[in-house]
Amino acid sequence: MAYPFQLGLQDATSPIMEELLHFHDHTLMIVFLISSLVLYIISLMLTTKLTHTSTMDAQEVETVWTILPAIILILIALPSLRILYMMDEINNPSLTVKTMGHQWYWSYEYTDYEDLNFDSYMIPTQELKPGELRLLEVDNRVVLPMEMTIRMLISSEDVLHSWAVPSLGLKTDAIPGRLNQTTLMATRPGLYYGQCSEICGSNHSFMPIVLEMVPLSYFETWSALMV
Amino acid sequence: MRVTLKSWDPAPIAPEKWFLCLGSEGRGRGPCVGQDKHTHTHTHTHTHMQMSFRATWSLVLKKVGPGMRGMHSPGSAANSEGKMPPYTNYHAQRSYPMPDEPFCTELNAEQRALKEKEKGSWTQLSHAEKVALYRLQFHETFAEMNRRSNEWKTVMGCVFFFFGFTALLIWWQRVYVFPKKPITLTDEWKAQQLQRILDMKGNPVQGLASRWDYEKKEWKK
Repeated sequence: MAYPFQLGLQDATSPIMEELLHFHDHTLMIVFLISSLVLYIISLMLTTKLTHTSTMDAQEVETVWTILPAIILILIALPSLRILYMMDEINNPSLTVKTMGHQWYWSYEYTDYEDLNFDSYMIPTQELKPGELRLLEVDNRVVLPMEMTIRMLISSEDVLHSWAVPSLGLKTDAIPGRLNQTTLMATRPGLYYGQCSEICGSNHSFMPIVLEMVPLSYFETWSALMV
Repeated sequence: MRVTLKSWDPAPIAPEKWFLCLGSEGRGRGPCVGQDKHTHTHTHTHTHMQMSFRATWSLVLKKVGPGMRGMHSPGSAANSEGKMPPYTNYHAQRSYPMPDEPFCTELNAEQRALKEKEKGSWTQLSHAEKVALYRLQFHETFAEMNRRSNEWKTVMGCVFFFFGFTALLIWWQRVYVFPKKPITLTDEWKAQQLQRILDMKGNPVQGLASRWDYEKKEWKK
């Protein structure tokens, strides 16, 4: 989850998120370079006594400041497209989990091997146990096996929602009447938090997602208990 | 030639009186008396704000007048044909230092005599006469035109004033508007929360848990 004075993205828990972290570093560097160049030029312009009131054309500089941004954009687009296609690779998931967005909670269905359904509501602030995270904890977490590719099918029962877990690099819209798919693969065990990312009404900020990544044996025990 | 006022123009308020940093009188076109009393140590107290206001205003007025005058003299006044009575006129601009029209168009006898003398050899002119001729042609010297002003003090004063006022508003808001803080912001809860996050190794690669030394049970140095 996010921590105080955090500046960048959360640590990556999936390989795609690692790629996105590096892409973010690359793009942010370009942004910083452009911003500092612009700031420098502005400061030059504000501190000169020279004036020039009869500019008619400036063909050379116009060409440069057309070609150079085009090149920069290509340098951003190529890694971006690479990651985009990487997200859509065929990966043969071993498990499929469905999640439906409601106003204002998520419900999960593990129907591969047995009929497991449950709702996941946020824990109100008054009912938190000491040390729990406000507005992020839920009553029933989404327990999943780690180091396994999982197919997530996301939809909604009423209005638009979005199922997002930043440390796994996931954000997929939950659209009523539509089934969206994303792939989940966590390299580490632990708790990973996310929040609904599409405005869906008054409690849009209060329907979080908590993934509990555990070794496969724990997962099997848990799912047998939950049914 | 007196500048005649149009019917829609009541007594013109010198624009410099609209602003905080007041300057001295606005200069009018027409008979330029007392020009030769100017010495190189004379300083106006006009502010930069006034200067650029006048320059902009004179440009605006010229555009509003019947048709656009030629673009070759943007810095000069427009009232030589008596079209519009501007509040101010000819103001020297750093970006247009030498307009076509001279500053003083109405010359008294003495000044006309001087202009005649100018047509001869300039070595015959005394220093005072050269200065007088300069003042007839141009409003200000470069040094006068480029002088600094005290406008920045007004600006910074207003900025700090509004900072302070906003601070007072925010303070009032904190006391009378904001609800009670949730229990999770107490130090005890924050400590328990931090311990929980470290136990579950949240962000162990480069984030929070990566800075905790699990063997020594303290933050890494």
